[in-house]
Amino acid sequence: MDGIHDLGGKQGFGPIDVGEKDEPFHAAWEARLLGIVRAMTRVAPWSIDWFRYVRELIDPVDYLTRPYYDQWLQTYAAMMVNSGVATVDELASGKSAAAIPDLAPPTPPSAVAAAIRNTTRFDRELLAPPRFAVGDAVRARPHTSAGHTRLPQYARGCRGTVTAFHGAHVLPDVSALGEERAEPLYTVAFAAAELWPEATAPRDRVHLDLWESYLESA
Amino acid sequence: MAEDHDPHKIQAIHRDLHSHLPPEPALRVKALESLLVEKGLLDPRTVDAWIAVFTEEIGPKRGATVVAKAWTDPAFKERLLTDGTTAITELGFEGWAGGHLKVVENTPSVHNLVVCTLCSCYPHSVLGIPPNWYKTAAYRARAVRDPRGVLAEFGEAVPAEVEVRVWDSTSELRYMVLPERPAGTEGWDQAALAGLVTRNAMIGTDRDLTPRTREPI
Repeated sequence: MDGIHDLGGKQGFGPIDVGEKDEPFHAAWEARLLGIVRAMTRVAPWSIDWFRYVRELIDPVDYLTRPYYDQWLQTYAAMMVNSGVATVDELASGKSAAAIPDLAPPTPPSAVAAAIRNTTRFDRELLAPPRFAVGDAVRARPHTSAGHTRLPQYARGCRGTVTAFHGAHVLPDVSALGEERAEPLYTVAFAAAELWPEATAPRDRVHLDLWESYLESA
Repeated sequence: MAEDHDPHKIQAIHRDLHSHLPPEPALRVKALESLLVEKGLLDPRTVDAWIAVFTEEIGPKRGATVVAKAWTDPAFKERLLTDGTTAITELGFEGWAGGHLKVVENTPSVHNLVVCTLCSCYPHSVLGIPPNWYKTAAYRARAVRDPRGVLAEFGEAVPAEVEVRVWDSTSELRYMVLPERPAGTEGWDQAALAGLVTRNAMIGTDRDLTPRTREPI
C-alpha cells in the first residue's frame, strides 16, 4: 500500500538526534511493552507480515507522531480485537469481560533463557528455477500489491542489478493476508543517480531485497 | 479463532482504539498488561525476565564480540561474511531476527550503512534494541536518499572516492556492518578490540574506530 510508513526518500525531515542517550529503553512503559510482546501467549496466527500491515494501517497522523512502542501497542491491540482475543472496552479498562476457553498456562519466566535463542527462518524449498541470475539487469515493477508489500515507492520503476540470490523466501504480500507462498528473493543494487535526481556520488548504491514478482527484466 | 485480514476493518479498529484507550502510553500499557494477565495470556514475571534480557544480556556488546573475533580470526571472518547466522550461532548469539544475518564489510574503498525504510528491521540477537533514531521517520527517509548527509551528522565525512552502500532491510535478511579494524591496534586481544566497537559502527553511522576518538560501549 502507498502508506505513510513508506518513508524512504521522503523530504522535509530534519536532523537525526545523534546525541540520544545510549540506553535500550527511554521510559519504563517502553520496556514493559516490549516485554509483554515477547512474553504473551498468541492464540491467533499473527505473522510478522500481518503485524507490519496492521501497523501500516494506523492513521497516518498517529503513525508519524506517536512514540514507536506506542504504535506497537496500537498494532497488537488492533490484532487482538480483530482476532476476537479482546474487545476495545477490555483494552481500555484493563478488565476482562470474558474468559478464553481451553487456554494453556502463560509462558513462565523459566522459559525465557531458552526462548532468547529461538530463531525463525523464512526461506523455503525452491520449487522452480529462479528467473534472474546475479549480474542481471532488472527493473522494479511500477506497482505490486494493493495491500502490504515490501517494494518501497522510491525504487518502483527503477533499474538495478541483481547482486545476490537468496533462494525462495516467504512472500510478504500474501503472508500478510494469512497465506504462505514462497518466491525467489534477490538483492538488487540501484545506483543513487537512478533513484534520486540530485544524487552526485557516481558509485553510491542502495541495495534492496526484492522478491521475483517485484521485478521484470531490463 | 476465525482470522480475517480486511484492511478497512483494521482501520476502523484503529480509530476505535484511538478514541477509547487511555490518553497516556504508560496507562495504555498498564491496561494491556492487566487485561492479558486477567485473561491468562501473560505472566508478569516473564515480562520482567524479558526486560532483564534486553537490559543486561542482549545488546551491542554481542555484536562487538563478533566484530573483534572477525578481526583476529580470518577463518571466522570468512564464515561470518558467507553465512552470518551460522557464524553467530558458534558464539551462542542466534535468536530474534537472527535467522538470515548478512554481514557487510567496510574497506578503505567501501562504507556500508543499514536502514529499514518500511519499518524498523534490526538484527536484535546481536545488537539488542535499536536506538530510537534508527526508528525515526527522519533516519528512515534520509538514509537512502542522503546517506552522506546523515553520516556527516554522525561526525563521519566519507571521502568522495569511497563508495557508500546503503542496505534497506526490505526482507527477513538482517544486515550488520563489519567495521574496519583501526590502525594502531596490532597485538590487541579480542576483549580490548571489542571495547573499540560501537553500536553505531555496526549500523554504519560510525566509520572511524581509531582508539581514543571513541568512548567504549
